Amino acid sequence: MIWEKLDPAMILTNLEAHSSDEVMEKVGGAVIRAGYAKESYVQALKVREKDYPTGLDVDGIGVAIPHTSVDHVLKSGVAIATLKQPVTFVQMGTDDETAEIKVVFMLAVVDPNDHIDELQQILAILQDTTVLEKLMNAENAQQIIDLVKEKENTL
Amino acid sequence: MKKKVIVACGGAVATSTVAANKIVELCKKNGVDMEICQCRISEIESNLPADLIVTTSKVKRDYGVPLITGMPFISGVGVAKTEAAILAVLQ
Repeated sequence: MIWEKLDPAMILTNLEAHSSDEVMEKVGGAVIRAGYAKESYVQALKVREKDYPTGLDVDGIGVAIPHTSVDHVLKSGVAIATLKQPVTFVQMGTDDETAEIKVVFMLAVVDPNDHIDELQQILAILQDTTVLEKLMNAENAQQIIDLVKEKENTL
Repeated sequence: MKKKVIVACGGAVATSTVAANKIVELCKKNGVDMEICQCRISEIESNLPADLIVTTSKVKRDYGVPLITGMPFISGVGVAKTEAAILAVLQ
């Protein structure tokens, strides 16, 4: 289960950010401070996002899943951020289509094959627009954790 | 004959792992004998030949092999259509 492993230090609600780089700095910074990634993580996120964008349009709700190669990660985890104002990201699988991102799931992956279930759980959460709407209205980390738990219990 | 499917993304970390897993399940359910080769976009060429390439990133090159976007496996939008397209190539 994802919710049991969520670290409140990596859950940011109503985050103020004006660019995808600023999202990487703020959310990635929290991941580094919480001990899940190396100092190089934020820069690696920014570079990778330019080459392989991670914005998704989930039935009208913009969700981004920034991640890097395993070299910059210390332990596996996921950071969740809701954005005060939408931030423009390029959509995954394109080089020019954009999505207005409101929710960010930042992944710290050590060995993808070990975490396939967790990755699929995260995708199941972000593919559910009802859950996304609730996440966007959450006021604090605990509410986010509770919403993830609630969703996971239905999977 | 066993089919070979290359599943590629930017870093072979997250999205291609999920897409590969979905394709394995899909093929098992439909009795398609296949093997997956998961790699980075930059490694596609060295893993050819293959019967199908599925990517979660934009690929401009033509590898001479059917190429299908695996994006629906990530966003959840349009999965059935993508699954049908994959089976159409492999069956």
